[in-house]
Amino acid sequence: MKKSTPYLLLLPALLFTVFVLVYPLVQNLINSFSDVSMITGRSGWTGLKNYEHVFEDTLFWRSFRNTSVYAVVGTGVALVVGLAFALLLNLKLGKINTVMGCLYTIPWIISPVVAGFAWKWLLNDQFGVVNYWLASAGIVKHGTTWLGNPGTALICVMLARIWQFYPFAMVMFLAGLQSIPQEQYEAAAVDGATMVRRFFYITLPNLKTVSSVMLVLGVIWSFNDFNMVFVMTRGGPMNSSMVLPVLVREFSFVQFDLGKGSALSVVIFALLTTLSYLYLKMISRGEPT
Amino acid sequence: MKRPILMAFLLSISLLSCGKKSDDIVLQDWNFGGRPKLIEFLRQRVYSFEKLHPGIKVIQSDKSWNMIREILYADFSAGAGPDVMNTHSNFAAEFGEAGFYYPVNKFPDFEQVKQWYIPHLLESTRYKDNYYGLPSSAIAFVLCCNKELFDKEGIAPPKTWSQFREAAKRLTKDTDGDGVPDQFGLVLMGGDKGGFAYRMIPLFFKAGVNVMSDDLKKIEFNSPMGVAALKLIADMYQVDHSITPGFLAYTHSEINDLFCSNKAAMSIEGPWFRGMVGDKSPGKDMYVVSVPVPDNMIAQYDTAPTLQDMVMYSINARSKHLKEAWELLKHLRNEEADMFWITQDLGATATTKSALNSREAQSVNDLQLYINELNHARPWPPHPQMIAIASNIFTPYCQRAVVGELSPKAALDQAAREAQELVDAKK
Amino acid sequence: MKKTLLTLAMIVLALLVLLPVLWTLSTSMKPLSEVNRYPPEWTSSAMSLKPYSDMFFYLPFLTYTLNSLIVASSSTILTLLFGSLAAFAFSRFAFAGKQVFLLIFLLSQMLPGASVIIPLFQLLQKAGLYDTYYGLILIHTAVLLPFVIWLLYGFFQTIPREIEDAALIDGCSRMTALRKVILPLALPGIGATALFSFLGSWNEFFFALILTSSDSTRTIPVGIGLFVGEYLDVWNQMAAAAILFSIPPLILFTLTRKTFIKGLVAGACK
Repeated sequence: MKKSTPYLLLLPALLFTVFVLVYPLVQNLINSFSDVSMITGRSGWTGLKNYEHVFEDTLFWRSFRNTSVYAVVGTGVALVVGLAFALLLNLKLGKINTVMGCLYTIPWIISPVVAGFAWKWLLNDQFGVVNYWLASAGIVKHGTTWLGNPGTALICVMLARIWQFYPFAMVMFLAGLQSIPQEQYEAAAVDGATMVRRFFYITLPNLKTVSSVMLVLGVIWSFNDFNMVFVMTRGGPMNSSMVLPVLVREFSFVQFDLGKGSALSVVIFALLTTLSYLYLKMISRGEPT
Repeated sequence: MKRPILMAFLLSISLLSCGKKSDDIVLQDWNFGGRPKLIEFLRQRVYSFEKLHPGIKVIQSDKSWNMIREILYADFSAGAGPDVMNTHSNFAAEFGEAGFYYPVNKFPDFEQVKQWYIPHLLESTRYKDNYYGLPSSAIAFVLCCNKELFDKEGIAPPKTWSQFREAAKRLTKDTDGDGVPDQFGLVLMGGDKGGFAYRMIPLFFKAGVNVMSDDLKKIEFNSPMGVAALKLIADMYQVDHSITPGFLAYTHSEINDLFCSNKAAMSIEGPWFRGMVGDKSPGKDMYVVSVPVPDNMIAQYDTAPTLQDMVMYSINARSKHLKEAWELLKHLRNEEADMFWITQDLGATATTKSALNSREAQSVNDLQLYINELNHARPWPPHPQMIAIASNIFTPYCQRAVVGELSPKAALDQAAREAQELVDAKK
Repeated sequence: MKKTLLTLAMIVLALLVLLPVLWTLSTSMKPLSEVNRYPPEWTSSAMSLKPYSDMFFYLPFLTYTLNSLIVASSSTILTLLFGSLAAFAFSRFAFAGKQVFLLIFLLSQMLPGASVIIPLFQLLQKAGLYDTYYGLILIHTAVLLPFVIWLLYGFFQTIPREIEDAALIDGCSRMTALRKVILPLALPGIGATALFSFLGSWNEFFFALILTSSDSTRTIPVGIGLFVGEYLDVWNQMAAAAILFSIPPLILFTLTRKTFIKGLVAGACK
């Protein structure tokens, strides 16, 4: 076997990655220090001006805060919900488990575009089902605005995002639950441990690795998520639900300021790389190498 | 294992490459917006064009107005995009300046074609010395009042700002008695940045406010009367609660739904609104009147300007078939075609002299009002940055004032400052 | 007793979880005049499948579907082809820089689409690939590749080396071993990966939104995403399109659910 074989095998995939991911990153870096017009392209260096514009923009800080909340809180809640569903599915109830398992996974398979629109209808202030139910139960007044209210818009989008993401957590947790050695529970049962104690002393510790990996992955994915916000609110009302990926589009393809957009891209990339580094550290503990 | 994969790959490659070969000249025609009736009419028009010009094939794509500017801007800067398309007439400045639109006055027969149209409407397709399209349909922004609700309350459509405010107050009601209002005096389009600006500016114009000075150098919408116009809306929202609380998320569809289901009594709209409402609730009637003027300007009620908008048909400057595109443009917009805006309710006002002066024009709903409004109305100032200023600066600040985050004066001053920077940067 | 209660609770929960889907389904069959009723109604006497045929008036839905199929299947094939080669190299060879390469792929999997979109737009613009199938397929392939390599790497690792060694001793070359021994064994894993790629490309919205514009290349998510705007508030037709669009992934998923989940668990956290 020749020494070059593995490199040859890697070559096509590597080419793709370099041309479509690495090159853009380098180009972005160049763009971010330049004056770039959509029509005429790059027209000279501007130093740190684009970055200054980004950091001076209050919208950037607002989006940064929104994105962090959206990613961290959203993922956290999705994990808890996913765990609850996984525990439910882990009860041995026979065939219904499989059927329900399938049904509970559907939100994950539905396209985010479709999901976003469906939630938008449900949350409509005047005609929506959610408002009707909540108002009938006396929890809110009829006509309460959700997506049109700067105070609640982001929460609504997060709700839809959680709805989309929890099945992934559920599937992972279920696999984790099923791999917990039965003997541990049996031993605990002998010791007379209550269900709650068994959950906290056996189940949770066993799920530690999978949940931390899920948390980081979930945060990274949600941090990158463009679809849900774009479809449901486009970052509005009054930018109250603006997140960084949507802001990149706003800078570059609405305001046509590619330089500023590139600078923001670089900032996002730096943030994400830090997060990815965490993920790497986490999984490499389990790697044999 | 490999074989089916290869087969599928080859299949998709062959799918990619098929269906292109033909000697016909192919024109891409993008039609933005339009109710079914209009889309149907345009398809017939394209069909009759192909009949008249064998050898030219036209592919009409129907798209919503959604993100029209972003999509076209990206397309044009990539050297792509359709050959022929309809946009708002205020695109002439931005897309003309950028070299995206072909100046149609370069065609030898333009001088004749020019004669078809009402002159001041044709003027809004002009930027500097060039005309960047042919007028399609004119729009004057007016106040649409829900007839059923007004009649039930026994009030007439408002003419002045205080009548407007009073009417909205009286029409805001709790109809089902659960302690929460479920019928509102006014609905605004807050979920569409452009749409919101188009609905605020008529109030500014009626009060004699300029968006920019005539030499296009200075932003002027923050004049005292501009602040008063914004304060009117802010007071209606914050003090009277007569504007739908969820308006920040509304686009056309929600407004239509609210109007049809009697949850909204008034909306600032244009000629499309009657038909749109009719499509959803057949038989629903409305009063269509001028946008109210400030109390002390009641004498100018019939002559104060509103916002004029127009749809125009333009040609991509990079089109490979300029001549054919021009033929199509004329066919879509000649006097014969324009008559359909009179004989069928297509949702906007005709723009040719012959159609507007025709006998049939007498019986068109609201036409006299629209013609009168259009005679006085003014378009957005023809500045290349105008669309960006309206959507990205004017709208966000106005919305913040309406919900009470900023005072109307502070909001407009800040917006004017940022807009002025954009104008001075002259990019 | 307890079991019945639990079962009941699970069913209620399922209905709750599927609320958005069920409401869309209900909307997709109502006539336009009954879509926005208050109080909301789940069924109406006038329900029919008419919106499903009406939606073709606005949207060239067949073209969009064909576009989506072409883009999704081509990207799936390309990712599988290049992905399995790379994964094979990672799992069966020791070579200098292996860790670095692994790192590159892993990192690029985390890349936000927002940070690469501008240069990609400019690149496709210059290469004349803006608004073409090729452009979109290229991008989808590249975006999906890292995760696919990662998944397949996990699968290949689970195949015992001894089987392959036996094949090598029998005189097969490494590549023949890959084709004749490893690929068949990894077939379930490859199936799951294929599903992942297909779904990823089929549902992808961000790149498709910015990198295509004409009807002849536009995919369904973008078609649906831009459907509602001024003058077009045909909610029932929109819902019908959404339902139709969701069916293929649902079928695919139900068919391959088990392997898919196994593969994902193996791939994401070993």
